[in-house]
Amino acid sequence: MTDQAIIDCRGVKKWFGDFQALRGVDLEVTKGEVVVIIGPSGSGKSTFIRCINRLEVHQEGQIFVDGIELTNDVRNIEAIRKDVGMVFQSFNLFPHLTIMQNITLAPIWVKKQSKSEAEAYGRELLERVGIPEQADKYPGQLSGGQQQRVAIARALAMKPQIMLFDEPTSALDPEMVKEVLDAMKELAKEGMTMIVVTHEMGFAREVADRVLFFDYGQLVEAGTPEHFFTNPQHDRTKLFLSQIL
Amino acid sequence: MTTAIQRPTRPPFYRDVTVLKWVFQIVFLIGIVTVFWLLGSFSIANLAKQNLAVSWDFMARPVGFQVAEGFTTLPESGFQALLVGITNMLRVTISGILAATILGVIIGVSRLSHNWLVNKLATVYIETIRNIPLLVQIVFWGIVVSIIPDIVVDETSDGSLKSLFGLRLLPEGWIFASPKGFAMPWLVPTDGRWQWVGFMIVGAVAALYAYRWRIRLQEAGTAEARAFLWSGGVLVAFAIVGTFAHPVMGIFGPVFGFVAAFFQNTPIIIFQIVLAGLAVGGAYYIIKKRLDELRTPAGLGKLTDDDWFRLAMAAVVASGLALFFLLQSGPVKAIVGQGTIFGQEIGLSQLFTGLESRFSFVSGAPFDFSLPAIDGRFNNYAADAGHVITRAYFALWIGVVLYTAAFIGEAVRAGVLAVPKGQTEAGFAVGLRRSQLLRMIVLPQAFRIILPPVGNQYLNLAKNTSLGIAVAYPDIVQVGQTIFNQTGQTIPIVISWMAWYSFVSLTLSAIVNRWNKKLKLVER
Ligand SMILES: Nc1ncnc2c1ncn2[C@@H]1O[C@H](COP(=O)(O)OP(=O)(O)O)[C@@H](O)[C@H]1O
Ligand SMILES: [Mg+2]
Repeated sequence: MTDQAIIDCRGVKKWFGDFQALRGVDLEVTKGEVVVIIGPSGSGKSTFIRCINRLEVHQEGQIFVDGIELTNDVRNIEAIRKDVGMVFQSFNLFPHLTIMQNITLAPIWVKKQSKSEAEAYGRELLERVGIPEQADKYPGQLSGGQQQRVAIARALAMKPQIMLFDEPTSALDPEMVKEVLDAMKELAKEGMTMIVVTHEMGFAREVADRVLFFDYGQLVEAGTPEHFFTNPQHDRTKLFLSQIL
Repeated sequence: MTTAIQRPTRPPFYRDVTVLKWVFQIVFLIGIVTVFWLLGSFSIANLAKQNLAVSWDFMARPVGFQVAEGFTTLPESGFQALLVGITNMLRVTISGILAATILGVIIGVSRLSHNWLVNKLATVYIETIRNIPLLVQIVFWGIVVSIIPDIVVDETSDGSLKSLFGLRLLPEGWIFASPKGFAMPWLVPTDGRWQWVGFMIVGAVAALYAYRWRIRLQEAGTAEARAFLWSGGVLVAFAIVGTFAHPVMGIFGPVFGFVAAFFQNTPIIIFQIVLAGLAVGGAYYIIKKRLDELRTPAGLGKLTDDDWFRLAMAAVVASGLALFFLLQSGPVKAIVGQGTIFGQEIGLSQLFTGLESRFSFVSGAPFDFSLPAIDGRFNNYAADAGHVITRAYFALWIGVVLYTAAFIGEAVRAGVLAVPKGQTEAGFAVGLRRSQLLRMIVLPQAFRIILPPVGNQYLNLAKNTSLGIAVAYPDIVQVGQTIFNQTGQTIPIVISWMAWYSFVSLTLSAIVNRWNKKLKLVER
């Protein structure tokens, strides 16, 4: 493990019953790096990034986040979750809370910030993702793109060092994809460490430091976006890219 | 090419949807009223032929029977007898709703448990209880109690009574069981209880403020909330201090007396005018609110025909009520306590006179600890010692509680399962603990889904208490039946039943609906 590796996965394996979803994944991510994961549906991309904040429990191998190992120790899990934000394909905003309450919930109850402090930062975040005027509305009153930007703000409210994105634009109408990608690009420019599962190759080309290709629960090929677009090595990678490009 | 903007032409009224709809409803209403009126007058005529004029006189007359249990067992009038039935019904309903809710939540959560045994037990419970008719269950519980060995007065030894309950955790003589039911120690209220209750009302308000204060501190980030702990503490403190300080509440006695005298002595025409004013004011408020809702910055929105009809109805009903109050002094007198309802003086004035006498610096503990005892003469529990749960009460109560809890359990399970998995994941992802997640994310959302079916179950429970007739529980149905067996006045009794059950059902649904509306998610 190099000093800068903020995420360090060694031989991560995961089974759902008999079915092995991850077959030994090794990955190091350095601070400030933007990693894009691509791969066919069912290849284990979601399962892998969900292991990083323990939404799924890996059964073999080790995962270190910022030097803390993910084990059954509740204290480790809590520490890591405070440090890792996540954005889901289906937004998963809390529908019974206002946008501002969605954003300030965790800072107030997990980080024990005062309400005014949390709200001040919440407004700043809404400003950053471009929807400052929606603070008092409920998620059901927002468009998909706006909801996803709120979800990004909600994750950022905990001031995480790492952000995980699981197909953040897949559930969006085409005209809303850009506004979400723009918010993510902004974040990447500010130096956030990001792992993004996405098939938006334009995004990958523009901001990714590294692209990983997953298939059958394995990391098949890794390289710069340029590498993937010009000379992919494996047949499976080539086949997959030919289908999505 | 330009065409003039055409105003939509109105169809002739006999093809106008809105007019047709309202006309149909009004005709329907008139039809129903006519049918009932005809049925009523036919039955009255038929009964008259059998020398049975329909009359409400029994309400004021003494009844010649005893009621098995209730706030009095020797009612002075038919009205009081029905009142005993009503309070008995409420006793089962209210305590039943509380118990069924608690048990139902436990059952529902157990059904979601990963613990195999707990899960299976809950499933077996639900499947068994739901598939046996409630009537059978109530009769069953009645039988269970009736096969307990009867009370025996043990005269061979020192003449004292032995506890017949095999429970050795409690001292001898604390709990009794017999075919007559169960007897247990109780805090029996004394005269001071009303003042103490007054104290507790103040305490409840204080607890509410304490709760809000803690939440505010939490939000300001100065302290952990522990709001429930704090408000609970305030309530307990008031309860304890109130036990000694409740005579302080006696200062309200004269105030209540003054109010009572006001209702008694003010000329009735004043109240008639006030009530008529309230009716008109209420209609004005409703109409104004509706118009305000339609008011936009660009001016008053267009009233739909439905709106017109609704506003007109409100105005008509209000003027009718106002006229009624102005022309009929009788009902108004009854309400304020200058007259009688069914021969009883039960108006506002009497209410406040009652409060006056209950708030009069009575001292002493508001409750006395009392152990159960047995009255050797009747081989029964002594009337004023401890608390007796009669066989009938127990059978009905346990029957409706177990039955309703099974349905509430299913509603709770369905509600929790209906909260999407993504909500839990999102909660964990932002770092919430499991308990916080349950309290702030899962339960509030599950609650919205659970509330309507559970409200329905509350209604069912209230109505199912009428099955108590199977074990002779003296609720309003059983008491009413006794009255009409004696007097032959079936029609007034049936009307009383219907009025009472409609009142309970409408009240319960109003509460649930209101709550439901408050919880509704805001959608686009
Ligand atoms: N909770 C689960 N139970 C059983 N199988 C699962 C579960 N979650 C995912 N899987 C399986 O694991 C494999 C990887 O899933 P996933 O990580 O969601 O793939 P991807 O995100 O790459 O489309 C799939 O075959 C999926 O069916
Ligand atoms: Mg996926």
